[in-house]
Amino acid sequence: MIPAKQSARRLSVLHIFKVYYPDLFGGTLSVIRDICAGLKDIYAASVLVCSKFGGQRRIVVNDVAVERVRSFGDVLSLPAAPTYPLRLWRRIAEHDLLALHAPFPLADLVFALGLGRSRPLVVHWHADIVSHATLRRFVEPLMRRTLRRAEAIIVSDAVLIENTPLLREFANKCHAVPFGVDVSKYDRPDRVNARGRLVLACGRLVPYKGFDVLVRAAVGRNFEVWIVGEGREHERLEQLIKELGVKDRVRLLGSLPDSERARLMCIADVFAMPSVTNAETFGLVQLEAMAAGRPIVNTSLDTAVPRVARHGMEAVTVPPGDSEQLGEAIDSLIADPERRCHMGEAARHRAMTKYSTDAFGKGIEIIYREAAAATAPTARVSRAAAIGWLPAIQIAAALAWSDMRHRYVRSLLGPFWMSIQMAIMVAVLGSVIGHFSNASAVARLPMLALSLTAWTFLNSVVLDATTALQNSASLIKDRALPPVIFLLQCVFRQGLFALHNACVPLILWLVLAPKEFGGAVVALPGLAVFIVCTLGLSLVLGAMATRFRDLKPIIESSLTLAFLSSPIIWSPEMINQASSVMRLNPLTHLFAIWREPLATGHIAMPSVTYVLAGLSVLAVASVVTIARLRKAAFWI
Amino acid sequence: MARISLRNVCLDYPLYGAYDFSLKRRLLGRLAGQSGPTRTIRAIDSISIEACAGARIGLAGPNGSGKSTLLRLIAGVYPATSGHIEITGNVMPLLGLNAGANLDFVAADNISLLLRISGRKPTRAIVDEIWTFTELDERMQRLPLRMFSSGMLMRVLFATATAFPADILLLDEWLSVVDENFSAKAEQRLLKLVSQAAIVIIASHDQELLRRTCTSIINLDRGRVVNTASLEAHSSHSFELREKRA
Repeated sequence: MIPAKQSARRLSVLHIFKVYYPDLFGGTLSVIRDICAGLKDIYAASVLVCSKFGGQRRIVVNDVAVERVRSFGDVLSLPAAPTYPLRLWRRIAEHDLLALHAPFPLADLVFALGLGRSRPLVVHWHADIVSHATLRRFVEPLMRRTLRRAEAIIVSDAVLIENTPLLREFANKCHAVPFGVDVSKYDRPDRVNARGRLVLACGRLVPYKGFDVLVRAAVGRNFEVWIVGEGREHERLEQLIKELGVKDRVRLLGSLPDSERARLMCIADVFAMPSVTNAETFGLVQLEAMAAGRPIVNTSLDTAVPRVARHGMEAVTVPPGDSEQLGEAIDSLIADPERRCHMGEAARHRAMTKYSTDAFGKGIEIIYREAAAATAPTARVSRAAAIGWLPAIQIAAALAWSDMRHRYVRSLLGPFWMSIQMAIMVAVLGSVIGHFSNASAVARLPMLALSLTAWTFLNSVVLDATTALQNSASLIKDRALPPVIFLLQCVFRQGLFALHNACVPLILWLVLAPKEFGGAVVALPGLAVFIVCTLGLSLVLGAMATRFRDLKPIIESSLTLAFLSSPIIWSPEMINQASSVMRLNPLTHLFAIWREPLATGHIAMPSVTYVLAGLSVLAVASVVTIARLRKAAFWI
Repeated sequence: MARISLRNVCLDYPLYGAYDFSLKRRLLGRLAGQSGPTRTIRAIDSISIEACAGARIGLAGPNGSGKSTLLRLIAGVYPATSGHIEITGNVMPLLGLNAGANLDFVAADNISLLLRISGRKPTRAIVDEIWTFTELDERMQRLPLRMFSSGMLMRVLFATATAFPADILLLDEWLSVVDENFSAKAEQRLLKLVSQAAIVIIASHDQELLRRTCTSIINLDRGRVVNTASLEAHSSHSFELREKRA
């Protein structure tokens, strides 16, 4: 083959999985490695994975760029890498094609949120989540969304499409591409061992591999069992071997290099694959053993396992988890060298003809090529992307400014009418509160006025945002302006009005208590956070209220309730600060972060933490909302 | 260089009924396990269009044939469901009849605001120049737009939108409400824009208007291209238009 030196740039593929070499070895990893190596003339492959072992973030493994995200260990067989989704989202735009190796819920999270739509996605379905039923129930909607968005789904055998309900829903885009094995790796002269009773098994030491069944099967028999692989079941298996008294015949060899494993495959007499659940979808190791010309003993799972090595031809298939029958099947093969030889030949022939690496590479390449060509809505589709952030903000500001000017056109005082209204409210509330509080009411007036100004800002921004998109339907649909502009416009417009209102507290403060400015400076960061939170709320609630019209009344009544249950008109000493309503109410803290420094000069740390946590949730929601707003024109 | 390239573009328009706007109903439906997918209608059905600078394309077809939707798709209002869209150049969409005008504001303010929206800084001179083009009375500049007739409104908006050269101009049922005199003037301006390397796409029911102003006419029906008529002889401008039926 002539190396493809095309003038065109190689397309770049991002492989998305939970772990990669050199942190672990296993079937799925060798599949990814083979895809990367097999298609390297056409696709430049990168891998984004998690890693428990710190170390370098970017490494190169077999010419493949691997980026590793720090994980803090495994929870429910999933890496606990909180930053993975973020990193994935940032990497998506750098590649032409995404290849997700499922199941991997951390990545599903990104796709389910509708992020990274700009790039075509191919899902390699390696297995279903079998061992954690509860987790699966939560993750299934995410997986479904990912699959719905995918261009193609690749499985190793057609039987998986039939037997996996989730895949049946998307049967029309599922493709069965059987894995391949390089038979030449197993051409070795040392194809015999002296004793003729060596049973080999390979795989990570995890429960679904069923090695405990194999150990039990060895009880009271004659054969030797060597198990290659490492994993969290090691201790337990060691214990089991000791308890059953088969220590002399059953050995755990730990993990071995590929070449050593291939040598063992060639000298073994029988290869056993005792897997007990459908998590074993294909059994790449049994294919390797077939390439080495070994007879197989496997289990009758609902997956490709008994179809790769077929009962009576290349294998003896026994029910999963049945150690008695497993032992018997192995014994019968050990006792019959001729049948073993016969089956081994058949196995090697099948591996060579049906499961070649070439066919695998070609199959994947075709699917990748089609996926990359039939790209999802691509390139520059939305004008929101064409109008940058800065121009968008400028347009929003211009719109807000003209709104405010228009108030002055209608009346001489303009927005100051509202300020006067607020001044009256402050006066009335101040006198009322003065009656049932012993503290000096007059001294508290500036803070009361400021709190009311801030609340009016937040309240009117959110209310404004719920109708903003509908009111600007013409600009969105006829002038193709990005919808987010009009939510920003609400914040800017109400910000301008709030500056008018701020005259009331400012005058009160100057007249009643012109003290040092130190507190005011310390309060500024808190005030900034307050405004950012308001912005986030307006984005999220504004978009949601446009999509779901019944939200508007709910938001309105919630705002009234929030006003009454928050310390806005109530001053801190008037209410029981420890009450759980006050402590849990986010508004309490949202006000505390700038009011405390202003009143006392101290920063309320618990409130700051609470607000920052809330802000990060709001930030994520805002990012999702902005992605969703692409569709806003359909809603109005 | 302005360029529009659509390849097998489809758009499924979601049909939101009264109930689809209700979050409560949606959540209840999900609890009851009967959350069907939103109904959609294929508004644009694998349309392919290639257009280079200098092309003036007319979109014709009965109501609901997808003319406006196609223009909005090109403008980026609707995201395509599938297919490939590539648009080079800045787009100036003038689609609905009021196209973002605020009827409460006076004409001059509207012009300034619309200029800002398209990223230009409005100055007195520019506003006056635009006003001259409309041929309307000087004093009307200070009147709110709601006092204007639809033809007068259209003059103001058209003059504003075409005051600066845009790479791609999208017009929907635009020149049909103005009188003949202004229409001729508007056509002159469109030709001038096109000569400055622009693409103009006009959707209209007025076959005469399309034949006068366009270099080719695409007939649409139910989201599909029925045929493409090229009026090459009419224009001396370079023009390329290809249409592929999928």
